[in-house]
Amino acid sequence: MPDWFLWFTRFENTKVVALLLFFTTFCAILIYLYTGKKRGKRLESYKYMPLQEDEQDLNAANGGENETHEPDKR
Amino acid sequence: MAQTGIGGVQQYNYDIIKKFAIMTLVWGLLGMATGVYIASELAWPFLNFDIPQITFGRLRPVHTTLVIFGFGGSALFATSYYVVQRTCQTRLYSDWMATLTFWGWQSAVALGAVSYMFGYTQSREYAEFEWPIDLIILVTWVVYFTVYIMTVRRRSQPHIYVANWFYIAFILVIALLHIFNNLAVPVGLFSLKSYSLFSGVQDAMTEWWYGHNAVGFFLTAAFLGMMYYFVPKQAGRPVYSYRLSIVHFWSLAFLYMWVGAHHLHWTALPDWTSTLAATFSIMLLLPSWGGMINGIMTLSGAWDKLRTDPIMLFLITSLSFYGMSTFEGPLMSLKSVNALSHYTDWTIGHVHSGALGWVAMVSFGSFYHMVPRLYDTRVYSTRLIYLHFWLATFGIVLYITSMWVAGIVQGLMLRSFDDYGNLSYTFVESVAFLHKPYVWRALGGLFFLSGVAVMAFNLFMTIRRSRTEAAELETRIAVKMARA
Amino acid sequence: MIKHESIETNVGLLIILTLIVVSIGGLVEIVPLFYIDDTIEEVEGIRPYTALELRGRDIYQREGCYLCHSQMIRPFRDELLRYGHYSLAAESQYDHPFQWGSKRTGPDLARVGGKYSNEWHVAHLNNPRDVVPQSIMPNYPWLLATDLDYSDVQDRMRALKVTGVPYSETQAEYDANVTEFGADVADQLDILRAEEHLMQQALAGNYDGQRSRITEMDALVAYLQVLGTMVDFSKYDEGYFAEFR
Repeated sequence: MPDWFLWFTRFENTKVVALLLFFTTFCAILIYLYTGKKRGKRLESYKYMPLQEDEQDLNAANGGENETHEPDKR
Repeated sequence: MAQTGIGGVQQYNYDIIKKFAIMTLVWGLLGMATGVYIASELAWPFLNFDIPQITFGRLRPVHTTLVIFGFGGSALFATSYYVVQRTCQTRLYSDWMATLTFWGWQSAVALGAVSYMFGYTQSREYAEFEWPIDLIILVTWVVYFTVYIMTVRRRSQPHIYVANWFYIAFILVIALLHIFNNLAVPVGLFSLKSYSLFSGVQDAMTEWWYGHNAVGFFLTAAFLGMMYYFVPKQAGRPVYSYRLSIVHFWSLAFLYMWVGAHHLHWTALPDWTSTLAATFSIMLLLPSWGGMINGIMTLSGAWDKLRTDPIMLFLITSLSFYGMSTFEGPLMSLKSVNALSHYTDWTIGHVHSGALGWVAMVSFGSFYHMVPRLYDTRVYSTRLIYLHFWLATFGIVLYITSMWVAGIVQGLMLRSFDDYGNLSYTFVESVAFLHKPYVWRALGGLFFLSGVAVMAFNLFMTIRRSRTEAAELETRIAVKMARA
Repeated sequence: MIKHESIETNVGLLIILTLIVVSIGGLVEIVPLFYIDDTIEEVEGIRPYTALELRGRDIYQREGCYLCHSQMIRPFRDELLRYGHYSLAAESQYDHPFQWGSKRTGPDLARVGGKYSNEWHVAHLNNPRDVVPQSIMPNYPWLLATDLDYSDVQDRMRALKVTGVPYSETQAEYDANVTEFGADVADQLDILRAEEHLMQQALAGNYDGQRSRITEMDALVAYLQVLGTMVDFSKYDEGYFAEFR
């Protein structure tokens, strides 16, 4: 094992190692999220989810409306 | 009109949400009234009346439990069941299980409050429930988890909307915290008393790991879930940035779990632990503000809504208070600031700027949006919403300013020395100083409480009107049918 | 390439990842406290509470005293002058649960033991404003009027024994306590003779000033009077404790 590797195994260095690890992960997430126009657009498209339900509500409402009219046909 | 009904089977289970919503208001009124009362006890101690059940020491956990778990918890059950059904476009997994969570949760809160008044407490802040109630909560929580996850699994959308991530994280973490923080040995099978499994340092660390993450996940993450659904819905526009919400979620979930030990600065807890916690507390500012920006910027381009829509006013103000208290929090976690602020009313003020300003305000906004939709009607009075808003805001400002004065001045008095190196003040001299801030604080609380009373009246009238509307509709249909 | 979408569309994955992410902080901060030797100082004199003190501590919890009184003195000059030497981890090693508190509406009590007389405590608990006019503490008159219920004190000690407090039931455990704490203390830690010792201590101490009965006041004052008195700080120099911080 090379000497530089032993540095990581020392107890007093674990905090630095952990922080570096977490920070790298964080940066990786940021890079993943904010590079690539296509990916960005795709991800952003999911934010309309709660608003789309309204259209379905509207459909449901129409369906409901028809049902209340049903007795008239009889 | 018939957004809930297609044929005989309703698309969503709104019944359970209505139950939780009503209990939210009941516990809110009771819990905050208790708060005003104990605040008055500190200003005028004769109010303890020598009655054991209503002395400050026994009522204070009643206040915190009713407000956090009764009011906040019921609000979370109500909104999470609403959000999960609507964003997943599916009905709750199981009606009887949802009903079980209702009775389990309400009985735990009620039994808890009564048991504290009769002296049964684990004496762990915000986890005072004795062991049998802890078991009720545990069962309720497992059922809650099942209902929630199974409903998500039944979704008709491929994606799980971000609000649900926050609710899921909240359910998971509260389960973890609840189990590990309540490990205790009962005195006997028929005794309510138990002793914590851990002692001293380990016990303190476990309790504040619990305590702060109850703030982090019960009072923050879950209410952020609320925010991610209700702010975009009320604004009629999507959340500012979906990618920011991804960063927000993961970094908040990761960082929060480290910061509990900042409640134990300068204590017998080893320094490395509390220093580490302080470091993470500072870092926590970033995701907190990221979330706040994400919420507030949702309104960008439609700021005029703040002038016309009092519900939006509630939601955006709540986010501003969230931003303020998540700035104040890291500041107070600095060891030098904490040396002054800890053990004083500054902490109490900080908690309330979060609890009243953020948690309660975002719930109010969400409820004004949700309750009329549950009952298929409009809010009874918009002017009363404005009245509630101003009562609440004025109350909070009065509350936190008086607590800043109380905390900072007491902190300075206690550490001041005269020319000869002796202490300038005895402890009780600082207590005497606190009388006026305590009176102002009680008054602030009273304003806030009366706001909630206005809200309860407004929503009560809304529900009542929906019933008359429904009755009218029925007669009209009946008349129509009779003619045909 | 892993996509965030795979997490968003799979609730199982979302749960697992969330659990991992939230577990790290707690594990790193809590687990070492159970294993690192430096966490708790080695000092002489710390012993578990006697049966009477234990019942007093229960009453202290019941009344919610911890909500206004801390038991954790910080290493500052003003706290040294006001309350005494800063608190050691060892001093709460038998506290299930800890009573460090989070708010000082009243003063810290970590070293209140021996500071005031029993009579002062009784008068103060009965009506704080009789002795401290500006106090905002509630009156606790029922402590003097209520006889102490110690019928289940043995069960309480047994429960604490399960958590690791060295109360003794067998001869071997008793002998170990004699070696560790001395015969007098070992007697007090004997579960089988707990009621007898509780009565003895209450009658001998006469904490509440009423010889004829054992009240809740006896227990609470006995507890308050032992707080912070177990360690003799003159035996140690300051550098020793600093190592553990």
